[in-house]
Amino acid sequence: MIELRRIEKTYRRGAEDVRALRGIDLTIDKKELIAITGPSGAGKTTLLHILGCLDQPTNGEIFIDGVEVTNLPEAELVKLRRDKIGFVFQQFYLIPGLSVFDNIALPLLFSKKPANPDRIAKLADMVGLKHRLDHVPSQLSGGEMQRTAIARGLVNAPEILLADEPTGNLDSENSEMIFEILRSLSNEGLTVAMITHNPDLAIRAKRAVHIKDGLVHSER
Amino acid sequence: MSGYLKLAVKNLLRHSTRSALTMLGIAASVGVLFSVLSFNRGFNEGLAQELERTGLHFMVVPSGCAHEVASLVLHGAVIPKFLDISVMQNLEETSGIAMATPILVAQVPNPGKERIDLIYGLDMQAISSIKPNWQIEGNIPKEENEILLGHEIAEHEGLKPGDVFMETSDGTQLIVAGIVGLTGSQDDAFVYLPIGTAQLLLDQPDAATAIGVKVKDPERMSEITDTLTAAVPGIQIVTMSQVMNSISNLAASARALSLAIVLIAVLISAVGVMNSILMSVFERSQEIGMMRAVGASRRDIFRIILEETTILSLAGGLFGIFIATLASKLIEAFVRAVMPFVPSGSLISFDPLLAIGSIFFIMAIGLCVGLYPACKASKINPVEAIKG
Repeated sequence: MIELRRIEKTYRRGAEDVRALRGIDLTIDKKELIAITGPSGAGKTTLLHILGCLDQPTNGEIFIDGVEVTNLPEAELVKLRRDKIGFVFQQFYLIPGLSVFDNIALPLLFSKKPANPDRIAKLADMVGLKHRLDHVPSQLSGGEMQRTAIARGLVNAPEILLADEPTGNLDSENSEMIFEILRSLSNEGLTVAMITHNPDLAIRAKRAVHIKDGLVHSER
Repeated sequence: MSGYLKLAVKNLLRHSTRSALTMLGIAASVGVLFSVLSFNRGFNEGLAQELERTGLHFMVVPSGCAHEVASLVLHGAVIPKFLDISVMQNLEETSGIAMATPILVAQVPNPGKERIDLIYGLDMQAISSIKPNWQIEGNIPKEENEILLGHEIAEHEGLKPGDVFMETSDGTQLIVAGIVGLTGSQDDAFVYLPIGTAQLLLDQPDAATAIGVKVKDPERMSEITDTLTAAVPGIQIVTMSQVMNSISNLAASARALSLAIVLIAVLISAVGVMNSILMSVFERSQEIGMMRAVGASRRDIFRIILEETTILSLAGGLFGIFIATLASKLIEAFVRAVMPFVPSGSLISFDPLLAIGSIFFIMAIGLCVGLYPACKASKINPVEAIKG
């Protein structure tokens, strides 16, 4: 599904060059639920952004479904993100004035697809928010916001969902709920890669990759 | 509502106070712009109409400043110069003249009231030609001792038709025959007398400050004015189109200045829009990063921001024109108070084309100032934005 070969990423921070990734080889198969763990600053988020075609590696190659996507022009990357990739962030990033329905439907605006109400309702139902479709984010709990963000990540029917510490801002009960949603999505055939600091969740993922100093340190 | 539009509106509503204030800035500048433009149109139309309704083709005046003459013709400025009696005779002998009516404007001390009256002597039979817009309460004077009063002076003195205005030095009582309805111009402050009475009052028999002339055939006008200028020394002939030009020129300089100020106001409000949108772009950079991550292209982001500025400009423009239309009476009263000559009738009329033009103008400006924030927003690097 996704194959990373000797991925390196160096970026400038002030006067110094930071080597965030130093040669990562990683293959993520279809339907996998993979947990990416590691200390702060290890390069997890950079890795996720490269997996999601949001960032380009300094060196190395990326293949999605066997097609090389390294150094594709921006317009092609936008298309890839729209069609194949869903993103979920730690801070949710919902748009305050928009209802749950409109927040979920937001990516459809950019992929120029109509927002089919039944489909949105189905997604909301899948994350347990069917009764909240008319609410705005300020009326939601943290867990509900993150579930809205997951539904938003799924609305374009992606092949892989990338989640950057999706439970980082949530209590254990809500974290559990989010993890269960991601796990069932993976069981239904979606590939899910999730960065987490929560060892309990990482253990329960089918596979866990530990990143340290920009390298795959260990794998289970 | 299209998705982009909805998103743009919601974004603006998030900071409703800021958006409202920015929009008010635009509304104020567009409102004034629209008023000034409407006023210019109304003024020129009113002036042309007023002069057209005057049945006179040209005025004969003592040679002097054309602007003075212009103001004399339209509202009776006082020029301490009189035309020679021979001019009137000369005019009567010139062929092609349908009517020549003398006008005498002067200041006369009123010893009984300890003030100076502005008097305007004219042939009462020619009044409908010289002052076609007047609404007269009472009668047009028929006797030599009957007069008309301007609205203001009548109100000030509390006089009605039939009352005695004053007694002249030889004991003649001047009776108010009629009162001129409010014109909103300097006409309101004058006392109108039959020309003979005015000449007696001034002790200047046969004197006139100007002679209004109507020709039989307007096509022959330049021929007649040339003959007159050659035949009579010390006179100047001012045609109505020259009068119109003089006043238009005076008004044009005031207009150019006001327009320049308004355009600067528009510019300032446009910079306000740019500032407001730019601020909101910076505040939302993480959100913009998220949108890029979930599939928005740079163009999508550009479009959202540009739509926000367009909505702000459009709303401001519409609101400004609405307010300007509501306030047009107030503006008109103000203009009448400060302008030297203002034609009667409504100065500001709602012109839909002008309104649409003003809105397009502000939207074009809005688009221009929106380009920079939109460009800035579209260049936000999603990776850096999301990292915060």
